[in-house]
Parts: sequence; C-alpha cells; structure tokens
Amino acid sequence: MNKLFITHEDLKTFVEALKKTCDEFIGPSRQHLNDIAFGDVKNDGEILLNYDGNTILSPRTFLLPQTETLFEIKGSIGGKVSSIEDKKSRIFYGVRPCDTLALSLMRRFFLEGIVDRPYQDKMENATFITLACAKPCSERSFCREIGSGPVAKKGFDIQLVAINRGYLVESGSKKGGAILRKYKKLFIVSTPSDIKESKRILKDFAKEAKPINYKRLAGIMRDDLVKESVWDDIGLRCVICSGCITVCPTCSCFSVTDRMNGTSGVRVRYCDGCPYAGFTRMAGGAMPKPDHKDHIRRFFEHKLNVDVERYGVPSCVGCGRCIETCPGNISIRKFIDDAMASVKK
Amino acid sequence: MGSKMTAKKTMDEYLPKNAVIEEILQETADSKTLTLRPIDKGSTILKYRPGQFMMVSLPGYGEAPFTFASLASRDGRFQISVRKVGSFTNALHALKERDIVGLRGPYGNTFPLSKIENKNILFIAGGCGIAPLRPLIQHVFKNRKEHGRIEIIYGCRAPRDIFYKNEIESWRNNPDTAVHLTVDEPDQSWDGTCGVVCVLLPKIKLVPKNAFVFLCGPGIMIKLAIQDILKLGFKEGNIYASLERHMKCGVGKCGHCYVKGKYVCTDGPNFSYSEMKKMGIDS
Repeated sequence: MNKLFITHEDLKTFVEALKKTCDEFIGPSRQHLNDIAFGDVKNDGEILLNYDGNTILSPRTFLLPQTETLFEIKGSIGGKVSSIEDKKSRIFYGVRPCDTLALSLMRRFFLEGIVDRPYQDKMENATFITLACAKPCSERSFCREIGSGPVAKKGFDIQLVAINRGYLVESGSKKGGAILRKYKKLFIVSTPSDIKESKRILKDFAKEAKPINYKRLAGIMRDDLVKESVWDDIGLRCVICSGCITVCPTCSCFSVTDRMNGTSGVRVRYCDGCPYAGFTRMAGGAMPKPDHKDHIRRFFEHKLNVDVERYGVPSCVGCGRCIETCPGNISIRKFIDDAMASVKK
Repeated sequence: MGSKMTAKKTMDEYLPKNAVIEEILQETADSKTLTLRPIDKGSTILKYRPGQFMMVSLPGYGEAPFTFASLASRDGRFQISVRKVGSFTNALHALKERDIVGLRGPYGNTFPLSKIENKNILFIAGGCGIAPLRPLIQHVFKNRKEHGRIEIIYGCRAPRDIFYKNEIESWRNNPDTAVHLTVDEPDQSWDGTCGVVCVLLPKIKLVPKNAFVFLCGPGIMIKLAIQDILKLGFKEGNIYASLERHMKCGVGKCGHCYVKGKYVCTDGPNFSYSEMKKMGIDS
C-alpha cells in the first residue's frame, strides 16, 4: 500500500487542527504517578503525540463507562421515560493496536443482533487514530503471540507508525481517508527507505515471540480438557478484586439499577463481571455454579474459547493489563501455556 | 424542513413501554397472577409466542425477566405470575389494579411449535415452573386435533402451592389427555400422589418414541426428571427445558445469563437436552 508520511511538527499541527473539529479529543497524557492515561486533551492536559508503553486503561472507559445513564424517569408508577443521547463527537488518538482490535470486537458485540443504542450513539461519532508500537510495552503483554500487534490490521480510521524522521500514515476507513484528504497539505508520500525502516522496527518487535495456536487452545477448552488443578489454582489465587474485568479492553458485562430522588431519577448501567458471586445469583438465591474457580473459568472461556468460535479470534488481545493488575498473580498468559501443556486424558 | 433524509433512528431497546394491570389474582400464599394490557403506542409485546419472556420494569426498582404465563387474549391481554422472592417482586406484589408497569420484549426463543404437531407431548412442571409452560399447554389444547396424546405432570410442595387450580382441572376434560399431580407435603384434603415429579413417570401412557417433553421447574427437578425420562426412551433432542438464569438486559448484552457461548436470553430460554449437554449444564 502506498503510505503517506508526516513529520513530527506537522503531526502537531494536524492534531491541533483535529481538536477543533470535535467535542472531545481523547488522547494519552502523563498523569498521576507518571501513568499514561486517556483523557480529553482538548480541554485538559497535554497530549503525548508518541509514547512508550500503553495507557493504564483502554478507550473502553469512554464507550462503556463505569456507570452510564440509559434513560430518565419522571414520576414513579406509570412515569415517563426518555432516552439520554450522547451525540458528542470524539476523536481517539494514540490507541494501541491491541486496543484497536478490542474496539472492533466490542463494536461487533454491541451492534450485532439487537443494537445497543448507547454504544451505537458513541461509535457513530467516534474516530480512531491508532499508534503502532515500536517496542513491547511491558513484559506482560503478548500481542505478537496472540496476533493483535504491534500493528493494527483493521478497526482504525487512521494508523500512524513512528519511524526516525516522523510517522508513516495509512487510512483504514472511508472516514479516515476523508480526513487525510482534507489535510493533504500536511502529508507527503513516504520514501522506500521509510517503508524499509518501519518494516525493520516491526520485525525487531518481540523477535522471539511464537504465535499462540489459539484455535487449538479453544478446542482444548471447549472439550473441557484443561486439568482441574489449573482451575483450582486460579480459584485459590483470585481475591475477587475485579481488577481484571475493570482493565480488560473487551469486558462488556454490566448490571442495571435505578437511582431515584423522590419520584424522578435515572436508570443506569454499570460495569459488572463474572468474578463476583452475585453475578449469576438468581432471585431466590440459586446459583448455577457456586464454586469460585468456575467464575474465573467463565472469564477465560469467554475470551479464549467462545469468542474464537464466534469471531474467529480470541477476545483476549494480549494487552497484559489483567496480569499487571492481579494481586494474586493470576496470568492469562501462563494459563494459556498451562492449558496447552496440561491436557487431561 | 431540511431536504436531506435524516438517518434512520435506532430503536432504543432499553426503553420500556407501559402496560396497565387489569386484574390481580392471589395464586398461592406467595404468588400472584397479574393480567396486563399494553397501553403504549408502538408496543411490540403482543407479538410473543409460547416460550418467550419479557422484561418487567418498575421505576426505582429496576427490571426483571418474566415469562408470559398465558396466551394473549383476543382483546390484547396476557398474564404473568410473580412469586415474591426479592425486592423487585415485593414491589410488584404491592401494586394494585389499574397501576402501570413498564414492559420490554418479547425476548428469547419460542417452543418448537411446528415440530410438535401430531406428536405426543409430555409436560413436567414443578412449582411456579408451570407458568412458562402454560402458554404452550393452552396452545396445544386450543389446537387439540393437531397434537397426539398429552400428559401433564405437575409437582408442588403442598396442595396450597398449586398454581392455576381451576384451569388445571379443566385440562382434564380434553380428549386423550391425562393430568397427574403430586405434592411433597400433603395435607388432610390431599388424596393424590406424594413425592417428587419422577414418582409419576411410571403412570404415563404415552409412547416415548418421537414424543416431545417440556420441562420447567427447580434445577434439581429438571436434572432428575431428565435422567429418568431418558431411561424411558425419550430422545435427547426432543426434550426441552425452559431455563432460568440471572438476567439484566434480555437482549444478549449484559452477560449475566451467558453459559458457554450461549445467551439464555437470546439463544434460549428454551433449550433441548442435546443443546444443554453441549453447554455443559443439566438444569
């Protein structure tokens, strides 16, 4: 593909121009304790045009927020309900390839079948600018092995690949193409040596990494061949802190509750997840799987087995955030090795 | 007026539509049957088929899934049965006739109505598990000639816990039909069978080959009853259970009811035993 090129200075100009075209410009910035986190850098904070590592949370937090109002309620019994629409236009800048893949999986999940209106609202007005990775972000990430990085294959509107003298630029959608045409004065055609350099950087990325045979893994899990001791160990290690489901870029589960003030209020949804015992507890107290290890098993099976069958790829994108955050040292990466190695007869 | 067409607006699936409670019947000590009539324009709720469910919404209390417990009447009314088990059902029990509830749906799959034509059918229900099966039972009796022999096994804790008492008695009047009742804790008035639903299985006079079975009840009942009916020669693919799981959205998004790749709300709630085996569950 004929890639474009932009200098670091012109990228600054490009970003400043783009900021004026949207309501919120979600980009990475240095925050508390040197963390890199996404925030609305149009209105607060200083954007990092390029950065090492990954953001502490994925853009999921802006598309499926921790709590989100579904609609307003006026009057208790027989009251009126009206949707709350989020029509803000957002440009996401500096999204990593792993999170880009996560976004395309989440988009399919929420928009296929019965459409999730609040998610659709936000996606319709969102633009994604992906920033490919030059080197592995942490020893816990395994994007190369699971196939989500270091460059995004799809799911972005524009993708940037940092090289020494600037950035290679490609569009991944009609929307991205239109933006690049609009600001075409800022871009020039890349040279063969630029392309060569980018290829070398990407080739050097995690040289030792061997692809995970995730189809075989999914089969092992589907046929229930993982040794019980592997699940037992995970069950003992989990302290139900819910860190994993909070940082995971593809966790989509939620609960719904009403927040009332007298006879008016809102119905909100909030992020929820399988580690909690109450997640599957029914009215009356019955629970289909009372053992805690089965709750984490549900998490792993969803990411590594069910979604391979549904989408052709695992919905664990190898970002390593859950491994980083787990106080019990549960590692989905280690689980993959254990599962592949410890197949019971 | 703009000349440009505006983009087609997506329906907000999470917005409930109002229905009025027209009648409240005290079914048992802790259960009521409510007759509802949708009153909001654009309500899709009456399109339901036997086996489906809806989300019932009460401002301030949230939502919960309920199965349709009857066929819709010609004038657009239907029933739900509600057992008092938590804060939401307590709030539903506190409502009076003419009060309003919100509804979303219908959701979920239907019982395989075309497959069961001309077939023998066995229903096995426990407690309030009779409610999800009732629309199907009403359907087969409404179209009696198009179905084979019908037997209904219904078990409850005590005689006072039996749902739809008068209607169940009227089911006995149908040709080539048998209704068997059993209770765990008989009282003085009870001269019928005692014990779990499985004790009634030897009484059935219906040829299992090609027959269909529909079950709903407590998990343990479904599990044990399936074990026993398989021994009688019913086919795994012809045994359907209406399953219960915790649900928050009803539309396959919230993740609570998910079991090994299936969403009980959108792929179910009615699963054949062959499907259940693939999902690794027995109830």
